[in-house]
Amino acid sequence: MPQLGQSLTRLDARAKVTGDAQYPGDINLPGQLWMKVLFARRPHARIKRLDTAQAERAPGVARVFTARDVPVNEFGLGAKDAPVLVADKVRWVGEKIALVVAETEAQAEYARDLIAVEYDDLPAIIDPRDAMKPGSAQVHPAYPGNVIKHIPIRKGDVAQGFAQSDVIVESEYHTPAQEHAYLQPEAGIAYTESAFSIDDENRVTVIVAGQWTHEDQEQIAHALGLRLDQVRVIYPAIGGAFGGREDMSVQIILALAAIKLNRPVKIIWSREESIIGHHKRHPMWLKSKWGATRDGKIIAAQVEIISDAGPYTTTSTKVLGNAAFGVVGPYEVPNVQVDAYTIATNNIVSGAFRGFGGPQAHFQAETQMNKLAEKLGMDPVEIRLKNVLREGSLLSTQTPLPGGKVSLPQIVEKCADEFGWSQKSKIENIVLSVAKDRKSKIGYGFACALKNIGFSFGYQENAWAKVELHGAAEIDQVIVYHAAAEVGQGTHTALAQMAANALGVPLEKIELRASDTATSENSGSVSASRMTYIGGNAIKGASERALKKWNDEERPAIAEYKYLAPKTTNYDPETGKATPNIAYGYVAQAVEVEVDTETGHVRVARVTCADDVGHAINPRLIEGQIEGAVIQAQGWTIQENFQSKNGNVLTPHLSTYLIPGILDVPDRVDSVILEFPDYNGPWGARGMAEMPFIPLAPAIIAAVHDATGVWFDEFPLTPWKVLEGLKKKLDADRFARG
Amino acid sequence: MKPFTYFSPTTLSDATRVLADYGADARCLAGGTDLLIRMKRHQWLPRAVVNLKRIPWLRDVAINAELRIGALVTLQDLVRAPIIREHFPVLAYAASKMAGVQVRNLATVGGNLCNASPAADTAPPLIALNARAVVVGARGERVIPLDEFFTGVGKSALAPDEILCEILVPRDDAVRASFIKLEHREAMDISIASVAVSLRNQKSEIKNQKCEDVRIVLGAVAPVPMRARQAEEILRGKELTEERIRQAARVAAREAQPIDDVRGSAWYRREMVEVLTRRQLIAMGKNVA
Repeated sequence: MPQLGQSLTRLDARAKVTGDAQYPGDINLPGQLWMKVLFARRPHARIKRLDTAQAERAPGVARVFTARDVPVNEFGLGAKDAPVLVADKVRWVGEKIALVVAETEAQAEYARDLIAVEYDDLPAIIDPRDAMKPGSAQVHPAYPGNVIKHIPIRKGDVAQGFAQSDVIVESEYHTPAQEHAYLQPEAGIAYTESAFSIDDENRVTVIVAGQWTHEDQEQIAHALGLRLDQVRVIYPAIGGAFGGREDMSVQIILALAAIKLNRPVKIIWSREESIIGHHKRHPMWLKSKWGATRDGKIIAAQVEIISDAGPYTTTSTKVLGNAAFGVVGPYEVPNVQVDAYTIATNNIVSGAFRGFGGPQAHFQAETQMNKLAEKLGMDPVEIRLKNVLREGSLLSTQTPLPGGKVSLPQIVEKCADEFGWSQKSKIENIVLSVAKDRKSKIGYGFACALKNIGFSFGYQENAWAKVELHGAAEIDQVIVYHAAAEVGQGTHTALAQMAANALGVPLEKIELRASDTATSENSGSVSASRMTYIGGNAIKGASERALKKWNDEERPAIAEYKYLAPKTTNYDPETGKATPNIAYGYVAQAVEVEVDTETGHVRVARVTCADDVGHAINPRLIEGQIEGAVIQAQGWTIQENFQSKNGNVLTPHLSTYLIPGILDVPDRVDSVILEFPDYNGPWGARGMAEMPFIPLAPAIIAAVHDATGVWFDEFPLTPWKVLEGLKKKLDADRFARG
Repeated sequence: MKPFTYFSPTTLSDATRVLADYGADARCLAGGTDLLIRMKRHQWLPRAVVNLKRIPWLRDVAINAELRIGALVTLQDLVRAPIIREHFPVLAYAASKMAGVQVRNLATVGGNLCNASPAADTAPPLIALNARAVVVGARGERVIPLDEFFTGVGKSALAPDEILCEILVPRDDAVRASFIKLEHREAMDISIASVAVSLRNQKSEIKNQKCEDVRIVLGAVAPVPMRARQAEEILRGKELTEERIRQAARVAAREAQPIDDVRGSAWYRREMVEVLTRRQLIAMGKNVA
């Protein structure tokens, strides 16, 4: 029986439902110590004096660590520009000053509060638009002028394009930060195998929740001056990630303490520590000018992006690259000019979050598109079909799209059909009659997007897998070694299904040994919607090679395979010309909203989401990703309101940072799964976990406009912001009438 | 958490004695849903914690000439108790809009009131129903009308040695009450603004919708849950016309004293007082007709 296209029960379902699954915070070891972190909790300051003497004498304390205890005190994904523990200068609230390790968690906390720190507070550099101006104070010596990166894209001639345009839409957009709010706050435990000495063969093991075992291993080894083989990283069950676990949180500090103390050391962050301690989605400011002909053909787009990176690089340059690519949306535009900047500030660090620059860029692109449709009196679906990318279309980077079929026209049409877009006026009448008493107005909105799969812009994408086939006459057992992180998305199940399919065995025969640097080579990160595609190709290659050995009578038959994806190239520094990505997924969404025009509350009633996933390995897991992404994107658009003042977080708890509850989610999310195979994907599969997030914000904004006549160029749509917008329109209308 | 001495008295007098000894350094423990969080965050550092849960009868709900709600009655008890649901459905409804089931199973009505948050959702409907607080201290018992109980953000009329024991709600079949809580999220959220309204009509007056007495109580828009007395005055003894309702709602909004915070801005809160007051009065008027 084919194993693909089946909604098989996920491998971890029973353990997670019964509570047997062990998350990092559930794991205890004999003789373990507890760690507490002293966070700076101020955005910009110089440390004048740091006195740990009293804390060291406190009951139960094993040791207090400060910057001078870290052998190579630097880490970071894009650049190693951040200190593990701060020696002199604090650059954001979540900066770590000291670590206290004690016999109990309460003792560690008590002692932490005895550490005396005197700071010289410095003025915080908050608005990136000011920070990039000449003469601004400096956030980080590595980034003169506070510009971490500038990416230009030049295609055609925008001046000429605008001259030929019949209509032009100009807008300034702002998109907010977002907290990942995963179920499981950061936690972990580290231990050494015996008395640890750096010159020895001994190693330190860190059990932690992350997204990329081998990157964690590399970062730990670098900061602690160890060889890679002296560091082992194991992922147990992980309670969500969404990009929020790409950066280091507790990995390095746990390993440091375990090595120095030769005892297991454990930490669990509180929700507050999690919210101030890890990065957020990049806030962005997008200045946009688009021109189109009378018949709705887009001919020029000029966009400036300013992204708030916080003080350190992490993934900001990569997110910027994706945003710069995404600002023309899924459209072929002959004349494009993009200038994208990511700027250092003293705000909370920004980093990876589902969509990785795509949501911000598409919010701008899709809202521009919907405004153009309004100006031209065209239907939002019709104008999209005139402009979407097709086979052979040239991207803003002046190269065509890879992978064969570019299914955007089909996705857009299918989404509109399934939603009932052309019959929606009839639906409106029915709903309105019910809603009338509630002062509600109904509106409809549409948006679409493309999302890259895999790491981009010159990174040689790769993943490793090993397959062992055991048995005699027939295969009794299959052992698959792989490092993919199961963060809740179901990747272990999808990978096992692909191995079973390649080998022609039932899923029960597959045993996955995953997420351990001691038993696997590098399979890369679970991010960029890449694991099904890149990891799946590694599983497929290893399975096919093992099967060949099996057929050649090798027992056991063992094969390793490292998949290397087609090459991509980085942006040309002047024109932005590039072959940016190996593959794409395509998505369209239609939404219905209800707006209470007296209180400003926006409720999403219905979402139809059509996704080209290439080949649906496990349709139920895909539906889970679509529904989860829609709800998370709705939170970003409406409920969630990450607030900070002068760099300090005002919403550090889930009682003030409101993620959608079950009563807030749409009444209906209809997942429409389409399968146009990608030529290079395993069995044609594309990645899909991010793309359903991307079009929702602009679709909701368009629906609210449809209901109220007001364009909201920034969000979240808190009720007071919506009401303010409605009032402004009322005033403007009154003024217009005289 | 900092070290503290834990007392678990079985009589009110033992409890008030500890409170008298420790004064402001003591805190009462009921459900603990506010107390423990604040202690863990080091916002409160009491030297003594006095558990009230071993004192009998503080968890009783009883009805006679008036409703008696023990201070340790949980929010979930309010939601579920048949006496409350039958005679004072507004209290069951208001409690149901607070927190989630796990917290409601612990949190108490007394704790909600003594915590004296401007956004305490049990306060507006209880004040609208003309409730009184029975408090006991080292010097004896006294009864405080609930609309005089709150004195500021986090502050009540309780003396340091006093304990809120029960809430008395007069039973009056001519009174109907309603409550609306405005949240950003549909559940598990703190009020941005809330309004409770009670109307008293004699049977003979129902036809012409004359309102004999009225209370309009605003939550989360002032340092304390507050009555909009000028708005009440517009309606008291008058016929409930739509025109008069709109006027009263506008006046109630003027009476509110809201602030800007992470949950909403002052102007928005003020405007919502008008919307919530008007919506309720119009709905209640319709029900009468």
